Amino acid sequence: MPSIVPTLEWLEGLAWTTAIRESGWGYPLIETSHVASIVAFAGLVIMMDLRLVGLAFTHAPLAQIQRRLFPWQMAGLVPSTATGLLLCCIDPVRYYGNVSFRVKLVLLALAGLNALAFHLKTRRRAGQWDEDPQATATARLAGAASLLLWSAIIVSGRLIAYG
Amino acid sequence: MKTKIFLVLLAAGALCAVQPAQAHHAFAAEYDATKPVTLTGIVTKMEWANPHGWIYMDVKQPDGTVKHWTIETAGPSQLSRHGLKKADFVDGMSAVVKAYQGIKDPALANGRTLVLKDGRSFYIGSVGGPNDGADL
Repeated sequence: MPSIVPTLEWLEGLAWTTAIRESGWGYPLIETSHVASIVAFAGLVIMMDLRLVGLAFTHAPLAQIQRRLFPWQMAGLVPSTATGLLLCCIDPVRYYGNVSFRVKLVLLALAGLNALAFHLKTRRRAGQWDEDPQATATARLAGAASLLLWSAIIVSGRLIAYG
Repeated sequence: MKTKIFLVLLAAGALCAVQPAQAHHAFAAEYDATKPVTLTGIVTKMEWANPHGWIYMDVKQPDGTVKHWTIETAGPSQLSRHGLKKADFVDGMSAVVKAYQGIKDPALANGRTLVLKDGRSFYIGSVGGPNDGADL
C-alpha cells in the first residue's frame, strides 16, 4: 500500500498552507475559532443528550427540543469542521503521527455513527415517546454515548498539543 | 433533582481534572529546568511556524564531533513581538542559544535566549518555562 505521507508533505508545502503556518495572526485566529465553535456545538449537543438520558427538560417534548436545537447545533458544527479541516491542512505530517489526533478521529467517527443511527431510528418512532419524560432505553443509551464521546473528543483534541 | 445536578457536576469535574495535570506541565514533561545549556554553533535551518518554531543547530563538541540540536521556540506572533523577523534567520549563520535540555531526547532543547552574530539578543521562549529572567 502506498504511503499517504508524500501527499501530506505536498499539502504542507503548498504556498497557502505554509503562509498560514508561518502567519502571526492567521493561525491563532483559526485555532480560536475552532475552539469557540466547538464550545457552541458541544454545549447544544449536551443539552439534547441530557434530555435523552432524562437529566434535564424532562417535561418538554423531545421532538420539540430536537427541532429547536438542531439548526444551532449545525451553526456550531459547520465552522468547527471547516476550521478543523483547515488546521489539518496546515500541519498534516505532525497530526498524522499524533496519537491523540488519531484517537480523536476514531471518536469523531463513532460520535457521527451514533448520531446517525439515533436519527434514523427515532425519525419513525419519536411520536410514541415524544411527550414521555422517560425516553426509550435505546434513546437513553444514544444520549449517554453522545455525552461520553463528545467529552472524550474535546479531551483528546486538547491533548493533541501534548503528543 | 439535586442528586442529578450533583451527578452532572461530578462528571464534569472528573473530565476537567484530567486536563490541568497535562496542560500546565508541557515544559516540565519534556524539558529539564535543572539543565540549562548554552549552545554556540551554526543554524542549519529555522522553521518559523505555528504553534511553535524550531531552530536546528549544529554544535561542535569538545571531542570534535558535531551534535545536531533541535530547539523549540515560541510561535511567530510572540517572536515578532520580541523583535525578531523571519528574515533574521539565514541558513548557515552562526548564533548562540541559551536553552533547557530535553528529558528524553538529549539533542532537544527549549530555547530561551537567542544571540545573533551582530550581538542583538532576543527572548525566544514559549510559555511554561522556569522563571529565570530570560524574558526580561
